[in-house]
Amino acid sequence: MTEMEVDLDMDDNDEKPYVRTLEDVQSIIKHAKLDAKNLTQVTQALYYPSAEMDNDNLKLLELDTHMHQQIRLGQTLYFKGGQNEKVVLCTEEKTYDVKGAEISNSLLLVPDLKFAAATSTSPLKSPRTGTSSLETSLNDDEDEVSVDRVLEQRKVLKIFHEYFECREIRPRYRKIYELLQLTRYSGPENEEYIDRKLLFTYNQLLDTVQCSRKQFEEGVLHFRAVEYEGRMRVLEYEYEMRILNCMLGLLRENSWHLDEVEYEETIAAMEGISPAEIVKGLFHIYTEPTVNKKGKFTYKEDLVARIIAQNILQPELKFRKDEFMNTWQEAMPEGMNCKEKYLHGLGIVDKEGNTTCIRSLVEELLPSNIHDRMRILFKTKSRWTKEEMEPYIECFSTPTLSVSTLLAKHARSLTDNGVRYFVSKH
Amino acid sequence: MPIIVKTTSPTSLEEYAIIELQGDLEIRSGENIHDLFIGDLYYNKYGQPILVIGHHILQGREQKLEKPLAVLEKSRTKDKKALLNESGIVFDPNSTLNKTVDRTTLDTTVALENKSRHSTEYIVRAICTKKLTFKSRPKPIIANVSITV
Repeated sequence: MTEMEVDLDMDDNDEKPYVRTLEDVQSIIKHAKLDAKNLTQVTQALYYPSAEMDNDNLKLLELDTHMHQQIRLGQTLYFKGGQNEKVVLCTEEKTYDVKGAEISNSLLLVPDLKFAAATSTSPLKSPRTGTSSLETSLNDDEDEVSVDRVLEQRKVLKIFHEYFECREIRPRYRKIYELLQLTRYSGPENEEYIDRKLLFTYNQLLDTVQCSRKQFEEGVLHFRAVEYEGRMRVLEYEYEMRILNCMLGLLRENSWHLDEVEYEETIAAMEGISPAEIVKGLFHIYTEPTVNKKGKFTYKEDLVARIIAQNILQPELKFRKDEFMNTWQEAMPEGMNCKEKYLHGLGIVDKEGNTTCIRSLVEELLPSNIHDRMRILFKTKSRWTKEEMEPYIECFSTPTLSVSTLLAKHARSLTDNGVRYFVSKH
Repeated sequence: MPIIVKTTSPTSLEEYAIIELQGDLEIRSGENIHDLFIGDLYYNKYGQPILVIGHHILQGREQKLEKPLAVLEKSRTKDKKALLNESGIVFDPNSTLNKTVDRTTLDTTVALENKSRHSTEYIVRAICTKKLTFKSRPKPIIANVSITV
């Protein structure tokens, strides 16, 4: 064996970059004491990227199953984020938080690289038990015919020390509410007071709100926004209440069963009271098609109950629970019932005093920062059960961060008479 | 305006490989690394990858990536702003504190967003689902032992 510097290859990088030859490969196999017979046929020589490979534009994005599937289907993904917002990534259905992850390892991105199976003419062997170290795998297949070695040149496209990882989050569609409440609709006669510059189309809102299209549709429904003259609007409570009352009044006027509400007749009867677009929008929000009765609709009890409750339960007011429940029930259309659970996110039951009270506490009006919100919640009421707190903090939960975890982090728990309560940490 | 990430040919999406090395690759010259030779990649008959870099030999493993990686390429347009580099990832601590301020300026924010239409977009250039990882310590290659044996 001749003596030779192994790193000879690294030395001539002066003028023209060195290109690996088959001879070099053969000799390094010898020096490294790799048995050529024990290697697959193809050797791939790796090189740094060329100067003209403009690779500053490349990013690695880690995908979960859903994102991967969307990409394979050719679906478009969207990065969304305004000036003071942290960017999110949306598919048509889901929303993700995006974070750069730095790593100390180097990730070499190599197009066209062959994996083991593609470099062998015969199927790969399954590893023997015990060891897979090189030394012991020597002299394995003495009888096998040696094949000619093939050398292929591979350029690394870019070396990464960072990639972007995504975590699914709840849609951040509160902005729908924040933007639309600047221009609440309260009838054609008040339109002259509305700043036209603050009105948004459906697509403008969708573009700026940090959630997927599907979640946006849910959000529009959740905040009860309707499209009026090409712009998205939410209604002034009193106005919404008044129009809805007229619509509900048709039940009695026409002796309709609760599950036999007629769409066309409702729109026709409301002519002159409110613009057709508003009535149609409200109808869409407040009703659902009746199962088994084609062409008929049913008002959603929970939504009707909520707007009525909201109307009674003005902010800062406090009611005795029994009185409140009576007033509430009386205001409901015949056959519909109010239930305490419908107050979800609107009001809370306060059992701390002598009499049980109901107080207004509207989720949408609370701070969007969890610390500030917790402070206000515990100021409003010192002891909460998990169920009571849920409507107010579930917007902070994610598929991996449950309400219980949030409570464990931001509140202290204690048990009284077998009931678990949460109190302020401080 | 949202920045879109498009997949132009989902059916024939290319598959790129990742080679993961512990730490960093360093070269002696240190200056122009373009086109420089890094090393040879071999596989033994069991499919185990072997990487020879300079005097060193590394044994690795072929692995499925736990989560696949998409290779995103920012497409070249007049607008040089990239969301991932600039406004986006940088967390603004004020944004959570000044919520009340934010709310009054929300309208202007949106107006701005609508005006400054980003012409940036990303193309999914390839997907990586497998990697070769070299975690073990590199072993030195000693060239001339056989003489003394």
